[in-house]
Amino acid sequence: MSESAAPAPPTSVSPARQCAVAATVFLASLVACAAVYLALNAHGPWFAAPSALRWTARNLTANRGTAQLATDSLMVTAPDAAHSVVIALGTSFLARDYPVIAWDASGIPPNVGAALLWYSDISSSRVFRRALTVEAGRIMPVDVADDRAWLGRIRGLALVLQGSFSQPIAVRGAMAKPMSALELLQDASRAWLKFEPWSGSSINGLVPGLAGESLPLPAALAVVAALAGLAYAGLWRWKLRSRGAAIGSGLAVIFMAAWVLLDARWQWNLLRQADATVALYGGKSWQERHLAAEDGALFAFISEVRAKLPPPPARVFVAADLAYFRHRAAYHLYPYDVYYDPGSTALPPPSAFRKDDYLVVYRRQGVQYDTAQQRLSWDGEAPLNAELLLNASGAALLRIR
Amino acid sequence: MDAALLILSVALPWCAGCGLLLAAGWPGRGAPGAGDRPAGAVALVLGYGYFAGLLVLTVWMRLLSVAGVGFGRAAVVAPLVALGALAAYLVRWRRASRALALAASIVRPPFAGWRRLVWLLLLGWLALRFATLAVEAGTRPLYPWDAWSQWATKARVWYELGRIIPFVPADAWLAGAPGVYFDASPANPATVPLVQAWTAIMLGRWDDSATNWPWPFMLVALALAMYGMLRDRGVLPLGSLIGAYLVASLPLLDTHAALAGYADLPLCATYSLAALALYRWASGREGRDGVLAVLLALACPAIELSGSAWALTLVPGAIAAFEPRRGPRIAAWILGIVAVALVGLATGTLSIPDGILQGGASQPSAAWRSLLDSFLLADNWHLLWYGTILLAIVGARRLVAPPLAQLAIVALSGLAWVLVVAMFGNDLASWFPEARVADRAALITAPVLIFLGVLVWRELTAREAAPAPPSPASALTVDA
Repeated sequence: MSESAAPAPPTSVSPARQCAVAATVFLASLVACAAVYLALNAHGPWFAAPSALRWTARNLTANRGTAQLATDSLMVTAPDAAHSVVIALGTSFLARDYPVIAWDASGIPPNVGAALLWYSDISSSRVFRRALTVEAGRIMPVDVADDRAWLGRIRGLALVLQGSFSQPIAVRGAMAKPMSALELLQDASRAWLKFEPWSGSSINGLVPGLAGESLPLPAALAVVAALAGLAYAGLWRWKLRSRGAAIGSGLAVIFMAAWVLLDARWQWNLLRQADATVALYGGKSWQERHLAAEDGALFAFISEVRAKLPPPPARVFVAADLAYFRHRAAYHLYPYDVYYDPGSTALPPPSAFRKDDYLVVYRRQGVQYDTAQQRLSWDGEAPLNAELLLNASGAALLRIR
Repeated sequence: MDAALLILSVALPWCAGCGLLLAAGWPGRGAPGAGDRPAGAVALVLGYGYFAGLLVLTVWMRLLSVAGVGFGRAAVVAPLVALGALAAYLVRWRRASRALALAASIVRPPFAGWRRLVWLLLLGWLALRFATLAVEAGTRPLYPWDAWSQWATKARVWYELGRIIPFVPADAWLAGAPGVYFDASPANPATVPLVQAWTAIMLGRWDDSATNWPWPFMLVALALAMYGMLRDRGVLPLGSLIGAYLVASLPLLDTHAALAGYADLPLCATYSLAALALYRWASGREGRDGVLAVLLALACPAIELSGSAWALTLVPGAIAAFEPRRGPRIAAWILGIVAVALVGLATGTLSIPDGILQGGASQPSAAWRSLLDSFLLADNWHLLWYGTILLAIVGARRLVAPPLAQLAIVALSGLAWVLVVAMFGNDLASWFPEARVADRAALITAPVLIFLGVLVWRELTAREAAPAPPSPASALTVDA
């Protein structure tokens, strides 16, 4: 073995420095991925692009179908006889400046098709059509830059809905987008930071795309982290390994950076949600909180019902057309011995009722009460003798006699 | 006054559970070389203690009901106070002062520089998270559908009437059976409603915001148990805290803590703690770990109907633990048969009688697509599934060998059950097309996946970490 002087050991890289390098690589990867995304999607000029054009519900006209103007949206309640709805608006913009049209509409059922119509000053007698994609009840923005008819000055746009529907469709407006780099970044950050309040389905998990995210943040950050991981591994092999650096801690920093970014967004949403919750319910008794809740009217009615009922556990039947009201009314009635049909609007046959049972009716069609004869009947069943104890609009409490 | 009673409603079962564990001499020895005082023992006792206390409480309430004793505050509180006093006696002042010193070292960790900064930032972030969730849960009236149609219905009746009253199916109720009640899911187990009734008993009135109170604390206890078990397995303090943070920051888990009232979070915690106790038993053959794992596994069916299926997913891991040489092979065979059956069902080669699995795998590709969308695109899991896939590939060799093989088998069994749920759905999915039931099933196994992921990472990086000379800062560990 040679006893000549060994080469001086390379200066070791401290853990803090490794973390800093990994964090820098992550940031560089973030910038690189953003640049690639913009290069692929920004059709308009990156700088000095015209600003986006926005039309609200007040600018919209229903040429076909039935619609009503609400506070911030045009509520389309029914199609015409041909199952069509046409919502039109007059415009005047240069097609080449605005390659994407985005309709802000929600509540579109899966069986309803959507299309964009337009005409321009180049051939004003012709109307052009482009199919639109509907996801999670919303219309996705459409890129019409590659359409040969998207030329000249666009004089009018229209949204066509084809199909039958029973629930109203809300159309809040439309946008013509220049698809500049700045606008794309703003769109993405707006979608990512959009407040998502709790909904009935929150407990089952968020649904991708529901918040209008065209670029899901977890997938985007996973790509950023993967690229950063590869870059860091290359850097480690090239420079850091020989200086005693560990690759594991650097990769962990990159993974955690992506995780923490996602978690920061989640925490921001939670804070806004907690603020809204405290604003609605803070400082109230539990009864006041229920009165302030979405079913406050039902809770108020059930409170009146409870005042008329004997002490528990009397038997109480609940009838309502909507499953939500049946379940909620029953919940507010416990510890009374409550019965309701969880899966249908049906009431049990009259033979299931006993003397001194009670029936709570809340927005339920098909229940009749003859005040003169004090007879209660529903759905063509044989009538029962009953006493009306409480009568509110669309709601009642009866005692079986 | 209300605040004090609510704090007591959390503290009493917590102390009782800790007392029970300390009386049993748990956690005993830790990882090989840890000596008599395993690292993370305090966190382990605190984390497991809350769930042990809640389970003891609900068993006691069942016994009271069977004995015909009403749910008076004194009757329910008595054993908790006794166990709490036992804990106080066992801890005594010397050990208490040691615990206080350990608590102080959590806030002021004995390492400096960037590690200390990250430690404190993580602690602050976790505190903010738990506080946000507690505000949400404690202010909002019971919100999610099943919580007020299936669970709190029983809690309200049992609290108001002071005993457990049976809930029966509609036909039995309509037939006029005396002294019975009905709700949307009469077969649900009693544990969760009893926990809610307990809070109301302590408060002295029904308040369905206050009865949400235990849920955020379940998340706190789960994070403590995760930290303690990682420390116990020899992971350094910062790595263990990161593991606990990864669990506590999962959005779907947070949602279940904030929108309280479902059985998913208690089941997730009980199942995870059972799996980790089983893993600890497999590593050290400490009898108390085995007993704890069995008791927690048996508690799963008492929390949710699907708990029995989840408890069964621990069986392949238990086989692997009992028979370290042949066990993994037997477990691999079981899982292989399950995988073949799933593929057969998914492709339509196999069929099953109606009613066993509702919904049917009529569109397996849609089920897969939905699962992938939810796991990889929606922010229910942050990067859990990306990390899991990556670590499964990179750490495959370590996952099939001791000491991780046994836990990997448990995780794989859990994921197999998630796939069953994803492919066949349930009634909820047919009611709400956007519902992600598979997400809720995956929630149960997520903490085990994170625990396993941290251990795989530790194994993968152990070789490169080993030769490095320990710096004064990194050599210090916190025995918390």
